[in-house]
Amino acid sequence: MEQLNRVKTGIAGLDLLLKGGLIVGASYIVQGRPGSGKTILANQLAFHHVREGGRVLVGTILSESHERLFLYLSTLSFYDPARVGSEIQFVSAFDTLQNEGLDEVVKLLRREISRHQATVLIVDGLLNARSMAESPLDTKKFIAELQGHAAFAGCTVLFLTSSRLDDGSPEHTMVDGVIELGEELHGSRSVRRIQLRKTRGSAALSGLHEFEITEDGVVVYPRLESLYSHPSRSDKADLTRVTSGISRLDELTGGGLPGSSVSLVMGPSGIGKTSVGISFLGASSRAEPGLLFGFYESPQRFRLKAKALGVDCKALEDSGALHLAWQPTTEGVLDGLGARLLKLIDEKHIKRVMIDSLGALVRIANSPSRLNEFFSALMGELRARGVTVLATWEMRDIFGSEINAPAPELSSMVDNILLMRFVELESELKRLLSILKVRDSLYDPSLVEVVISDHGIDLKKAFENATAVMSGSAATIPNT
Amino acid sequence: MTTILIVDDEYLIADILGYTLEDEGYTVVKATSGAKALDELERHKPSLVITDYMMPLMNGVEFATEIRKRVGDQLPIILMSGAQSHIGRSSPELFAAVFDKPFDTPKLIDKVKKLLERKTLPGRRRHPPR
Repeated sequence: MEQLNRVKTGIAGLDLLLKGGLIVGASYIVQGRPGSGKTILANQLAFHHVREGGRVLVGTILSESHERLFLYLSTLSFYDPARVGSEIQFVSAFDTLQNEGLDEVVKLLRREISRHQATVLIVDGLLNARSMAESPLDTKKFIAELQGHAAFAGCTVLFLTSSRLDDGSPEHTMVDGVIELGEELHGSRSVRRIQLRKTRGSAALSGLHEFEITEDGVVVYPRLESLYSHPSRSDKADLTRVTSGISRLDELTGGGLPGSSVSLVMGPSGIGKTSVGISFLGASSRAEPGLLFGFYESPQRFRLKAKALGVDCKALEDSGALHLAWQPTTEGVLDGLGARLLKLIDEKHIKRVMIDSLGALVRIANSPSRLNEFFSALMGELRARGVTVLATWEMRDIFGSEINAPAPELSSMVDNILLMRFVELESELKRLLSILKVRDSLYDPSLVEVVISDHGIDLKKAFENATAVMSGSAATIPNT
Repeated sequence: MTTILIVDDEYLIADILGYTLEDEGYTVVKATSGAKALDELERHKPSLVITDYMMPLMNGVEFATEIRKRVGDQLPIILMSGAQSHIGRSSPELFAAVFDKPFDTPKLIDKVKKLLERKTLPGRRRHPPR
């Protein structure tokens, strides 16, 4: 099978969506309303392309001046004024379009392609060209001629347009690919999305993917489940056990947590989920480093909490056995967070991760309907990378028997489930832990009491003489 | 009437500058490329040229070099440019002045006046026609 040569866009996520980049000599439409990020995307590509040794011609058919464009671009990290006028040429064809028509614009751009030996041509303002065309056939001819000249010179073309062209429009039928940029409101939050609507001669990650415009330009986050529809490497699927950091829990689970497994610790606020996680991370070593991927507690607070449980977080961090990654729950993109987690795991060779909590990821998700797919892909990928995961999930009710799972099918997605509840027994509030599931293993299903002290967590056999413990209001069975 | 030739592929800049110069009493001729501007040069014999750098077919330096070849070094040329102004500043034989885009219009007008005064009446001061 032949592989087509690619022009990298330099936008890592977009190159992933395009399976390597744009096809050399092909033509693309980038469409989106004003402010959607088309111009930034195209210029980001242009500056990346010249850094790689290419040459770019930007032909504008807009009334906006180039200086104004440079002024805005100068706030972005990729903009390098030294490249403008040398490797990147900006020419305005607006006047030519207005006074001399489409044919002359084609002639002008064709001459400029060869004069600058451009390997990428960006035509900004396709809508204006369309409005000057006398018939749809003229628009087709304009695009066909331009892409013909460009392809002849081995030049890849991007046509930017602010109109929302439909799939049957003459423009779409002519080009090899269509990249659409959109924006929608979720509550008061605006979410930017990118979609490859047409990719001729190439596989691509279809569907909508979120993106952000940062000071580094456009950052695209491919949907994790489309990126890892199959885990990137095979799951070792061995039967090794790793310590949970709590010796009694290791005994109850039949020798520790299965290696490369995902455990979910569910329970209400204040029950000690993070404490279980601290014990788990406390078992990190330089050979098998741990990572806290946390949302609520800052690293400083986490260290204090760990200290109270007898875990010297700072010493573990200093030795390279533990890494703390904290992110706010108020910003970010779900797939971006997933990508960040996987990147950290690769970079630091992480073998055990605590995600505190999955609920924060749910909060950030703009499309709850895809959470199952997201978590399934993320968990699959973590397992494939040989990482043992402990994730927390906060339950709404402090007491009671109702259990809200983060995603309806989560229990089948995770390997092990630990349930923690408050129980009132003989006018005393106790913490209960029960194992609901352990992958490929027999486990002790008895209800144990969680005792948290400065030596860490201990699990004690308890509730043996009590009934209705899971309801939260246990009663002692009277001696008969 | 003193004629000024403005060369810029961006019509907006050429227009705005053109109107301002017309308000000052000059006749303005505009061209969107160096090649077209050379035709206008023959036709209108301007007293001063203001040119952009980044343009189709020939850039500001190529255009100015061509002018020097055709009409010698008496015709003052002003370069207005963004990123490439350093190229203009290193060629004083081509450009009588270099302005960074976006430029300060009154300063540019002032420079135009000074250059035209020097050109038309060496040693004597005279205001440009109004």
